[in-house]
Amino acid sequence: MLELSPQHGQESSDKAIVAEHLCKVFNVTKGILRRTKTQVVAVKDVSFEVNYGELFGLVGPNGAGKTTTIKLLTTMLIPTSGNATVLGLDIQKDVTKIRERIGIVLGGERGLYTRVSAIDNLRYFADLYGVPVNIQKKRIKELLQFMGLWDRARDRVETYSKGMKQRLHLARGLIHDPQLIFMDEPTIGLDPEIAKETRNMIKELVEKGKTVLLTTHYMFEADELCKRVAIIRNGEIVALDTPSGLKKYVMDASVVEVEGFGITEKEVARFREVPEVLAVSADLSENKQVLKIQTPKGSEIIAEVQEILKNSRIYDIKIKEPTLEDAYLRLVEGSAK
Amino acid sequence: MPQTLRVIYSAFRMAMLHWIADPQWVIPNVIAPFVFTFVALTLFKEATGPFGLYAVLGGGMMGMWGNTLYSSGFAIEFEKWQGTLEEVVATPSNLLHVIAGKSISNALFGLTNMAAILLIASLVFRVPLDVANPILFALSIVLTLISVSALGLIFASAFVLTRSAQVFTNGLEFPIYVISGSMFPIGLLPFWVHPASYILGPTWGIEAIRIAAGQENVSLTFWLNVGVMLLITLAYVALAAFLFKKVETKSRRDGTLGQA
Repeated sequence: MLELSPQHGQESSDKAIVAEHLCKVFNVTKGILRRTKTQVVAVKDVSFEVNYGELFGLVGPNGAGKTTTIKLLTTMLIPTSGNATVLGLDIQKDVTKIRERIGIVLGGERGLYTRVSAIDNLRYFADLYGVPVNIQKKRIKELLQFMGLWDRARDRVETYSKGMKQRLHLARGLIHDPQLIFMDEPTIGLDPEIAKETRNMIKELVEKGKTVLLTTHYMFEADELCKRVAIIRNGEIVALDTPSGLKKYVMDASVVEVEGFGITEKEVARFREVPEVLAVSADLSENKQVLKIQTPKGSEIIAEVQEILKNSRIYDIKIKEPTLEDAYLRLVEGSAK
Repeated sequence: MPQTLRVIYSAFRMAMLHWIADPQWVIPNVIAPFVFTFVALTLFKEATGPFGLYAVLGGGMMGMWGNTLYSSGFAIEFEKWQGTLEEVVATPSNLLHVIAGKSISNALFGLTNMAAILLIASLVFRVPLDVANPILFALSIVLTLISVSALGLIFASAFVLTRSAQVFTNGLEFPIYVISGSMFPIGLLPFWVHPASYILGPTWGIEAIRIAAGQENVSLTFWLNVGVMLLITLAYVALAAFLFKKVETKSRRDGTLGQA
């Protein structure tokens, strides 16, 4: 049984996170002989709040600014402008105090010492986080049992599967029993079963009273886990609401889902030019291609669909109610239409 | 154990676990010293005086410094490759203490290099290695080891910023051998090199080691060398602490911590 302390309730702020107009601009140098400097705006004017005990989702496509936002809040980056408080502490002034109280799960194949065992990885980070020696042994065992890694605890991490490494990342993020945990795409690259297990573990952490800020680009994951979701695009938050609140955003439209073969990018682009089409997404990589068209016209648009796709094979056309995924697509990709 | 010491010990332990896990250390620590000793002793074959000890100590120092410099740079680069540097920086522990632990383990491994050279010279080449004052000889080696580790820390701070520590270490390795007097007495070097030699802790350490090797009742010069080396070492630690703070802030501003 994993013993974690619930919320401490003695914080100087009634919010776990308060981000106020956070901006991060990176200077990028190009060329060797003729060096030119350009500026890349990773995050611009991001403001949001997270309550204690909440599982808050930050959702957006790759390069939207999710990881940069997490790194700013976890003191791994210094903001260009704006500021934030984490557990009532200033991210620029109270760096060490924040680091003592938060956990970070960056995930992926990297970020672990692969030539040593899971126990050695956890023991090392327990020391760096200042976990008392008399607590370390018990905590490491409990965490590895909770993550289902105890049987392989003494094996080198390089022999672990992707899912096992991900669970070890989670264990490492919890080694010092933090009040607030930041998780950056914790299920990316995992097979569906392991991803489901990981989501269940995250839910359990919140049930134990932890506050979690999670980034993902899977909308169904945010829908299943998060109390509130912020959608970030090009470094800006474009929507922030509960999953059901976000779904309302697309209630004005239906989704026409087309399954076919031979659909080209050019044809997808033609849909984007149709005035009644609000957003289009297409998965053209597989043999069975799927095109999703958001439109208030519903079935009335089918004739136009057939006309645009006359050179492709259409297997099926369905009219569906919009999901949170569709709301996300509209918010993230709608402007590209 | 105070938290600072615990972090240094934990980083030391982690570095040792990696040394054990990766047996390629045999190449710089056993095979390379063997080759060096063979070359040095062949060159000094016709010389008279304590040539064997000079060659052996020079080789040992080269090993210790090479190991520390290479490993200090590699310690940071290794963390970047593994993607663990961000995780380590994200803890409340001071990065300087983490790298200090690794640096000490690396210098200690460098000592195995010196031990290997002593053994090879003595057993294989039958070189007489009479040490006049073994206790002060050992003490001066340990203090030089600490000084070398502290110098390695200063360079390690630069490796947080650069992606190509290897090039940097290769460029620095040989000049330090020469100006610290590891290869031959600094008196043989041009006078304008001397200031650079005197700000290096190992220069004074090597001199102390040589005195302890040659004199049973060491002169005041021995203690002067040890004292100056300790002062320089303290200055190195203070400079490294300052540089690490600056470098960490710059990395957090530029977003370079996660770059492999």
